[in-house]
Amino acid sequence: PGGTTKTRRPDNTAFKQQRLPAWQPFLTAGTVLPTFFIIGLIFIPIGIGIFVTSNNIREIEIDYTGIEPSSPCNKCLSPVETPCICTINFTLEKSFEGNVFMYYGLSNFYQNHRRYVKSRDDSQLNGDRSALLNPSKECEPYRRNEDKPIAPCGAIANSMFNDTLELFLVANESDPTLMLIPLKRRGIAWWTDKNVKFRNPPGTESLKERFKDTTHPVNWLKPVYELDPEDEDNNGFINEDFIVWMRTAALPTFRKLYRLIERKNDLHPTLPAGRYYLNITYNYPVHSFDGRKRMILSTVSWMGGKNPFLGIAYITIGSISFLLGVVLLVINHKYRNSSNTADITI
Amino acid sequence: MSRSWLLCGMKPLQGSTHFSLGNQKVEKRMGCQQSLQSSEVLKVRTIYINDPLKNTFCTNSISTTKYSKWSFLPRYLYLQFSKAANAFFLFITILQQIPGVSPIGQYTTLLPLLVILAISGIKEVVEDYKRYMADKVVNSKTTSVFRQNSWHVIKWHEVNVGDIVKTLNEEFLPADMILISSSEPQSMCYVATANLDGETNLKIRQASLEVAGIIKEGQLVNLDGKIECEEPDRQFNNFVGTLYLRGKSPISVGPDQMLLRGTQLKNTQWIIGVVIYTGFETKLMQNSVKSPLKRSQVEKVTNMQILILLLLLFVISAVSCVGATIWNKMYLENIWYMGISGITPHNHVFDILVFIILYHNLVPISLLLTLETVKFIQAQFINWDEDMHYEQNDLYAMARTSNLNEELGQVKYLFSDKTGTLTCNTMAFKKCTIAGIIYGNHSDNTDDGNENLSRASFCEFNDPKLLENFEDGHPSSEYIKEFLTLLCVCHTVIPERCGNDILYQASSPDEAALVKGAKKLGFVFTTRTPYSVTIEVMTETHTFEILNILEFSSNRKRMSIIVRTPAGHLRLYCKGADTVIYERLSKDSLFVEDTLKHLEIFATEGLRTLCIAYTDLTETEYQDWLQEYKKASAVSQNRIQRLEECYEIIEKEFLLLGATAIEDRLQANVPETISTLLKANIKIWVLTGDKQETAVNIAFSCKLISSTTPRIYLNADSFEAAQQTINHNCGDLGNLLGKENDLALIIDGETLKYALRFEIQKKFLDLALSCRAVLCCRLSPLQKAEIVDLVKKHEEAITLAVGDGANDVGMIRMAHVGVGISGNEGMQATNNSDYSIAQFRYLEKLLLVHGTWNYFRVTKCILYSFYKNVVLYIIGLWFSFVNGFSGQIIFEHWCISLYNVIFTSLPPLTLGIFEKCCSQKSLLEYPQLYTVFQTGEMFNTKVFWIQCINALIHSFILFWFPTKMLEHDMILRHGYTTDYLFLGNFIYSYVVVTVCLKAGLETTSWNRFSHVAIWGSIISWILFFSVYSFFWPIFSVAPEMTGQINMVLSCPHFWMGFLLVPTTCLIQNFFWKLIKNTYKRGLLEEIQELESRKDSILEHSEIFEKRMTAASLAVSFSTQPCEIFFRDDSVDLSAPHGYAFSQTEGAVVTQEELVRAYDTAKMENSRISKRSSDFSEIF
Repeated sequence: PGGTTKTRRPDNTAFKQQRLPAWQPFLTAGTVLPTFFIIGLIFIPIGIGIFVTSNNIREIEIDYTGIEPSSPCNKCLSPVETPCICTINFTLEKSFEGNVFMYYGLSNFYQNHRRYVKSRDDSQLNGDRSALLNPSKECEPYRRNEDKPIAPCGAIANSMFNDTLELFLVANESDPTLMLIPLKRRGIAWWTDKNVKFRNPPGTESLKERFKDTTHPVNWLKPVYELDPEDEDNNGFINEDFIVWMRTAALPTFRKLYRLIERKNDLHPTLPAGRYYLNITYNYPVHSFDGRKRMILSTVSWMGGKNPFLGIAYITIGSISFLLGVVLLVINHKYRNSSNTADITI
Repeated sequence: MSRSWLLCGMKPLQGSTHFSLGNQKVEKRMGCQQSLQSSEVLKVRTIYINDPLKNTFCTNSISTTKYSKWSFLPRYLYLQFSKAANAFFLFITILQQIPGVSPIGQYTTLLPLLVILAISGIKEVVEDYKRYMADKVVNSKTTSVFRQNSWHVIKWHEVNVGDIVKTLNEEFLPADMILISSSEPQSMCYVATANLDGETNLKIRQASLEVAGIIKEGQLVNLDGKIECEEPDRQFNNFVGTLYLRGKSPISVGPDQMLLRGTQLKNTQWIIGVVIYTGFETKLMQNSVKSPLKRSQVEKVTNMQILILLLLLFVISAVSCVGATIWNKMYLENIWYMGISGITPHNHVFDILVFIILYHNLVPISLLLTLETVKFIQAQFINWDEDMHYEQNDLYAMARTSNLNEELGQVKYLFSDKTGTLTCNTMAFKKCTIAGIIYGNHSDNTDDGNENLSRASFCEFNDPKLLENFEDGHPSSEYIKEFLTLLCVCHTVIPERCGNDILYQASSPDEAALVKGAKKLGFVFTTRTPYSVTIEVMTETHTFEILNILEFSSNRKRMSIIVRTPAGHLRLYCKGADTVIYERLSKDSLFVEDTLKHLEIFATEGLRTLCIAYTDLTETEYQDWLQEYKKASAVSQNRIQRLEECYEIIEKEFLLLGATAIEDRLQANVPETISTLLKANIKIWVLTGDKQETAVNIAFSCKLISSTTPRIYLNADSFEAAQQTINHNCGDLGNLLGKENDLALIIDGETLKYALRFEIQKKFLDLALSCRAVLCCRLSPLQKAEIVDLVKKHEEAITLAVGDGANDVGMIRMAHVGVGISGNEGMQATNNSDYSIAQFRYLEKLLLVHGTWNYFRVTKCILYSFYKNVVLYIIGLWFSFVNGFSGQIIFEHWCISLYNVIFTSLPPLTLGIFEKCCSQKSLLEYPQLYTVFQTGEMFNTKVFWIQCINALIHSFILFWFPTKMLEHDMILRHGYTTDYLFLGNFIYSYVVVTVCLKAGLETTSWNRFSHVAIWGSIISWILFFSVYSFFWPIFSVAPEMTGQINMVLSCPHFWMGFLLVPTTCLIQNFFWKLIKNTYKRGLLEEIQELESRKDSILEHSEIFEKRMTAASLAVSFSTQPCEIFFRDDSVDLSAPHGYAFSQTEGAVVTQEELVRAYDTAKMENSRISKRSSDFSEIF
């Protein structure tokens, strides 16, 4: 019988007998009260730090939709005038130092709408030849035009932002010569997008050859391989303006990076305080859906652009934690006095 | 309608419908060839003896498996998809295949669903295989069958109807048979039916003497004929048949010739029978219905919540759909960039489907699988538990189902069988009082620990003082001699010489115990001839001539025997209940007071007492009486009554000798277990088929009731009487009705039949619930089930039934949890139970430790699973508010569907498997802890929705904090702007972290697996995220994920939020937990704290004790003696009587006939030859 007992007997391990060593923390006000204060003490300084950093960032936002009749761009609201060029002037109170980033911002623009988000063909954008000529069904109704496949297909590409923004510094109040601020077109897209995700169709021929048998999106004036007239390497699917646009924003109010204004090597600020002209080639219609267009200039800190939320959140949570700590302390004190049993003592 | 339906339908009792339904199921399942050739009206089965070709009935193999090879897939799928949740996910999967509907891809629900189906499929196969193996063991037991003129040993499943089967002593019968011959005189045999009806005494069966005669004369080969009998039914005591032997007149056979499958042959060398019913058609199997699917309370609540959640899902979808309609009206026409103008807008049905798919994961798809896994492992823990390992039989506890694990933690009513569950079903002569001196009193105290069991089996009566007094000529020496002589003479036991030893066979275990006890004391009963018994005292033989046997019956409560002593005197020996003996004592009788006192002591200990008395008769007195007796015997009407009246005449003027005390041995630690369970606020009801006296004795001996407990006896013979007694008692209780009082209620089966009538059942239940202990005696299996059903229906409480025999099957099935005691040979109870244990005492660990833990674990696991799903998937709703209710999701498809499969699959598992509310030691030491869980406050609708609201708040924070953080898009050092998925990945990461940390906050017992699960899950997400971001364009999935990892991890905002967002979510939970642990603590928290400071237990134990007692007072029953004034005479406030005696009554063979039938002096030689020649004589 000994042999049979052995075979039937499960091995008597700690796991099977549920005797695994375990740590049984028991949280009471007495033991973990300091945690609240520690959280408070850590969060509040972090919050203040972030808040200050965010406040130090220079940012200016110019709405150029032209809704107000007084706005120079008001004339461009009527579809008659094409192309429409308007100029808005503004003043920088303080100079912008370091690299300055130029954004365009759209409001009430639902880039996150499901139909919009899916209306693209990533294989096509990745340079896949078959997808180039036969885009995905998701692109409907911007899949084919006049029997030719659209490249790039889909609603996202079709609605690409096509205003041109130029920035001029009024160098001297008395002397109205305008100094064009050099705007860098490259280096605005993620490295992976530019090098991995977006690729032109393979081949050694010219881009035009490679895109033959395709047509440009309905709303575009020029084909995808002519997006950047100045820089041959910034054309086709790897055009950086295009790539930036193709990352659809999370919220209906969003910004997209437009241009870089690199810091100068000398001691002058990148954008000195003073008057500026913003020259807009107004193509992009947002009026129909009550949208707004903005141009934003901003410097960045180690943690990006201006956004006071995080700092305030940290300070608030830190304070709440501190407050909870105090509440616990008070209750604890009262409870200990009123209770006959001494079981809270550590 | 076959006969069995009719019988069931005729029963006026409630439960019968239930059983007959089950019966139909069985019949359907059998699928064997019923003898349909017989006409519809007669329903007669004709069996041709030993002619297998002519008999086409069901085979004797039984199968309890759920599936067969071919039925597996369809049946399994059917079962799976009949679960609401699975059907729902199937529905979602199908919806996802409609092009354009699914916002989250086509196969994202199908894959997890397939995984889940595959895993639970494997589990089903394994479980069914186990069942198949168990059946195989039963089916391949062997027996001897007479075929082709010789005996063949074949397996049980090869036994056919019409076969002639031989069964040896102690063997189980393989099928229902008609007894045609046996080794015993007059073709008698004894069978133990405890397995079927729970009765302790053996039953006597006797073959028709005509048949037996034929077989003795001829040989089995010539046995040719047929049996006509009724179709199989479920009534154990119903059978009508006729045996036609070739060339003989028909012989009618009835239940007395019937041997049933599941019974065991006792005290009989061999029997030969003809098989009449096999396999599923046996009475035993007819009584076994497929276990109803039991669902635990927790599961029911969960299902309810799932339904509400589904409803909520539809509401959210509808709201989103309305939102979409409004948004589309307001914006869509003017939005040129979407290219809508070319496409017709979707209709509402389409929209609502989109949203249902979008939010469908609110119902956790993994919950069912997680729970199955968790419960499976919990069941394994029960199976593995060494503390529930009964080493003598090498039996482990076994969880036969894993559905009810958590139910074990909430039991409120425990229904226990007596025989074989509380007791070992062995009787031992333990104590006695002779001539006012008590013997055998000291032996108890030395019993301890492990020795207890091994010693107890030998430790019967061993008080050397008795023999000393006898031999040393103590004044009481004569009485002792008379007392022991009486024990040796006054009984119906048959001695059987086995080598040098003598074995006693008796249908009454009490008598066997007494005779054995006397033998140990040197009074050996050696020989019985039809008219005498011979005993050996100190090498001298005395032969008593037996003149008359005045039979035992439960009305008379005594049996007497009139003998002529060796000296030639006429003497009447009597043993019986104290009440009846004391009525008949002569004035000269001595020791009356002392004995009464001793009887009380015995009774309080729960021993079965019998008073022993004798009287000397004069020759004339006897002769006169004998005339009367002969007259009475000759009467044909009311003979039994006349005989009893006649007995009454001579049974008088008794001289008291003393009393015996027999121990109906309890299983180990039964009283301790019962007291622990009572402390845990579990009410214990004893339901037994045995006699009232026996039940009361056991209640005393297992300390369920004490000698001061008033006992309410409900014994009525009419509905009116029962109603009156119940009403009276309810009235007497007054305000105390419904509260727990130190009372015991004792009711018998007959009265229960009235008490369960609809008009008074509520009253009866109220009365029963007001008593601390309830004993129900003389119950049929069906009544046991009915009582359980009654409590189950009227009380919102979990019931547990524990039993070991086939008669307990009904209640085991009926109760929320059925526990079978395994180890006794019959497997009926075990096979129908949800859990099987080897000993009653293991219930303590099963309920208090496993039950509590499992309940704690399962509820935490469920709550947490819902929490984590609501947190993630309600984010879709928040996002809908900013994306124009378009159904766009903010996460990547596969990330979403892997959420439940990988990233957060482990924490619910560790919560469900390893979580402990407190240690085993504490749970066993403070049974009061059980009440914390019993009330179900850990898990109910309120708790559930609090958790859901908590999840809602978390998801709100988890969505809006990162959204606000990224509001201005400029969050990267190089000024890059981002997309929706960037935000999605932020949120997703925070969700995973928060949800895992929340699991950490829920975990009270951290072992290494908890650490792996919690930290590992967070790491697994980060790892997956890293790898997944590089999939495109190598694999054509997730182009939008490309490059996300670099940008997310290098974004300072991400790390800032990493600290902030989970903290914000959890700080409130943390705070509430502190408040709960510190200021609103209950018993559980006290103990948890105590355990967390193991080093300082000593200083605290005193305070702790104080608090514990305070806390336990609130939950435990009041132990003060009852101050109620009872007017009804059904209430017995007196000291307990210990009388109990089991004996076969009203059997085929009367006790007198039985005794007269044996002549062991003659039989000696013939028996030996019988055994050695192996039945040769009957060929």
